[in-house]
Amino acid sequence: MKKKAVALFLVSVLSLGIAACASGGGSGTSSSSDASEAKVLKLAESFAYPSLDAHKDYYGWYTSIYGLTETLFRVDDNLNIVPWLADGYTVSDDSKTWTITLQEKAAFSNGTPLTADMVVRNFERLSENNERFAYMGDFTFAAAEDHTLTITTPDVYPTLLSDLTAPETGIMDLDATEDFDNAPVCTGPFVVKSFEPEGTVDMVKNASYWDGEVNLDEVIFYYMQDDESKLNAMQSGEIDGYTSVTAAAKQIFSADPSRYTLTEIPATRLQFYSLNENRLDDNVRRAINLSVDCEAIAAYLGGTVSAAVGPFTAAAPYGKVTKPAPDAADARAAMEAAGYVLNSDGFYEKDGQVLTLNICYYKARSLDTIALLMQEQLQKAGIDAKLTPEEDPDGTYIATGDYDIALYCMIADKAGDPYYCIDALFRSNSRWAVGGFKDDECEALINRLQYETDPDERAALANQIVQIVIDDNAFGFVGLFNKTTVTAPGLTGIAEHCPFDFYGVNADTTFAG
Amino acid sequence: MLKYIGKRLLHLLIILVAVSFITFLLMYISPGDPARKKLTSGGSIAVSEELLEKTRREMGLDRPFLVQYGSWLSGVVKGDLGNSYKDGLPVSAKLSKGLGYTLTLSLSSLVLALAVSLPLSILTAVKKNTPADYIFRFLSFIGNSLPNFLISVLLMYFLCVKARLLPVIAENSFKGLLLPTLALAIPLSGRFLRQFRAEILEQLGKSYVSGAAARGVRSYYILISNVLHNALPGILTVIGLSVGTLLGGSVVIETIFRWPGLGKLVMDSITARDYPVIQGFVLFAAVVYVLINLVTDLLHRKIDPRIARQEGRV
Repeated sequence: MKKKAVALFLVSVLSLGIAACASGGGSGTSSSSDASEAKVLKLAESFAYPSLDAHKDYYGWYTSIYGLTETLFRVDDNLNIVPWLADGYTVSDDSKTWTITLQEKAAFSNGTPLTADMVVRNFERLSENNERFAYMGDFTFAAAEDHTLTITTPDVYPTLLSDLTAPETGIMDLDATEDFDNAPVCTGPFVVKSFEPEGTVDMVKNASYWDGEVNLDEVIFYYMQDDESKLNAMQSGEIDGYTSVTAAAKQIFSADPSRYTLTEIPATRLQFYSLNENRLDDNVRRAINLSVDCEAIAAYLGGTVSAAVGPFTAAAPYGKVTKPAPDAADARAAMEAAGYVLNSDGFYEKDGQVLTLNICYYKARSLDTIALLMQEQLQKAGIDAKLTPEEDPDGTYIATGDYDIALYCMIADKAGDPYYCIDALFRSNSRWAVGGFKDDECEALINRLQYETDPDERAALANQIVQIVIDDNAFGFVGLFNKTTVTAPGLTGIAEHCPFDFYGVNADTTFAG
Repeated sequence: MLKYIGKRLLHLLIILVAVSFITFLLMYISPGDPARKKLTSGGSIAVSEELLEKTRREMGLDRPFLVQYGSWLSGVVKGDLGNSYKDGLPVSAKLSKGLGYTLTLSLSSLVLALAVSLPLSILTAVKKNTPADYIFRFLSFIGNSLPNFLISVLLMYFLCVKARLLPVIAENSFKGLLLPTLALAIPLSGRFLRQFRAEILEQLGKSYVSGAAARGVRSYYILISNVLHNALPGILTVIGLSVGTLLGGSVVIETIFRWPGLGKLVMDSITARDYPVIQGFVLFAAVVYVLINLVTDLLHRKIDPRIARQEGRV
């Protein structure tokens, strides 16, 4: 009797658990049998968030990927800022007031037309709900007409359009619902069918999409963190594509081009190092940069990164810079000019002291591998180096400046404008100023870039600034992570050619599978 | 008995305060800034120092250590585990959601492992040094020595990709439970089999077994009524320890099979320096371990009354 009771208890707990999991998880699973006739696309995503409120945290990145939210402007595949929900804009003579006109036909999925007043309320809500956009609270927003709004900034603010491409500025119908976390009403080509927080998201076609017919009927996004799981799901045909393909998976996919299409472009995540000018003289820094072979590093990393020249992709108008190719003879000459001689061990020394560089890094984004490869390349050139791994770079070597070479990885291009990166890295009062880089001409150019509104002039200024940094050997730009996407035959238009992470499906996404 | 339980529960309170204090201290002194993690999407995007300072103030991270700990502890006493730094959701809600999944996976894998290992351990002990014993011990050795991630990937590759018997993506369903259950149960069965076998063999070598056999008691009766009964305390200890580990969640298996249990939740929280969630989990884990030990001890006393008598004398 007791045994039966124990068995019954175990079975009951298991059944309850399964039922709880099934009900607690929402209705994330799709009815594949119902959808068998419809054009259903299944994609895997490496991240998932607990909410669909575009204004909170970084959730807007994924509402944009899901084709749910749209912004006034967007960045195209060539890194140009182009109107999206907006139709155009003008700037006042003092460059402080921006007048933006909206697309007349733009509307939410519930049929409500998009108005300037709704856009203004969205921006005000964003500034109140997201710490990173609190600065927008200093702007004055006004709905001039139904489809025209003005944004007045206290100072000249040339990066406003770039800011308005940020997915967090996605527009939601604030009157349609209060449940922005689970079922916001937006303007995108897809609407939410079911949403499982930090899980599967099922989107269906917005039948009344304002910008034309939507090709796909349904898109399901599966949250899959593990690379092996994504690879297996792709191989078993359970998903039709995903980005962030690893080097190992890339080899498998590239061996079968009839089943898989790989698209690889340099994206916006930059691996770089700072050279400490307080410790290393001009010639030593020059020798270091001439000894580090970024192409070889990129090749070793299996094509997951592209060798970088500057912080931005060469495809961008502000990515037109040059740097000298690795050259052992030039590096040797630079070291000798700095007063170093090779000792019997093959390492440079001065006054009997061997030069040993301290390479600080943290174990993420392949920086540990890069640190090892750099050590090897430098030692081959006669420059000894030791490695110092840190858990928290921001709290250690970047805060103290206790390094010779400091490796780091960050998104260099947030949304089609170079100022964010230049301001963060090269300003004399930036966090990276601990590396000692200070150049009056560069500072003056950065000040000009801060207020310059003409896009062509901005690109020219950015190129001059980065070239000064390269020529000064203040930094070394190692690689830009590639955005590698694998797709099943017949699938196109999931932003596989766009370097930014926050675009995904759209009305033109097609899938013949 | 009640006095004994009360004493153990009092110990639990002391353990909880000590464990939570040590964890809080370790997190406080470990590198990593929760505010920076929250604002920079894991360090990918640069933000100004002013914004960082403001966010630290809002999160209460600028206060002295003891004030932060005291504030957290007073919340816990009132039943409030706080909110996640990462998404602002209540810690208790996050833990309960993960617990449902972890409980299901733990129980299913435990039941499967016991169903496999208990009969096999009896068989291998009774048939010691026979081909069956060698084969099952070898298999248990393999199962026990393979790392979890390898078992998971192999299962997925052969059952999902090659044989197409199960889907890679099978969430919130019985099918979705099968693969992670297997992946957890295989090494667990290997470990159980070896440890149960050793317990049973130890009893089989005792003189009461040969004495009973000499008196003509049937070997089946000796095995079930005497040997297994006497081996039960050791077996229960092994199971108790495993249950504690299982309820802590398995990061690797939960991540590979997209099973949103506690292991994955706490790993993500450690990466994000989400202190309130980590603290909540530590409290939960401490309670689970202490309670499971208590239950195991109570069962020991029930099975073998000599333990209670000995403790009473002491």
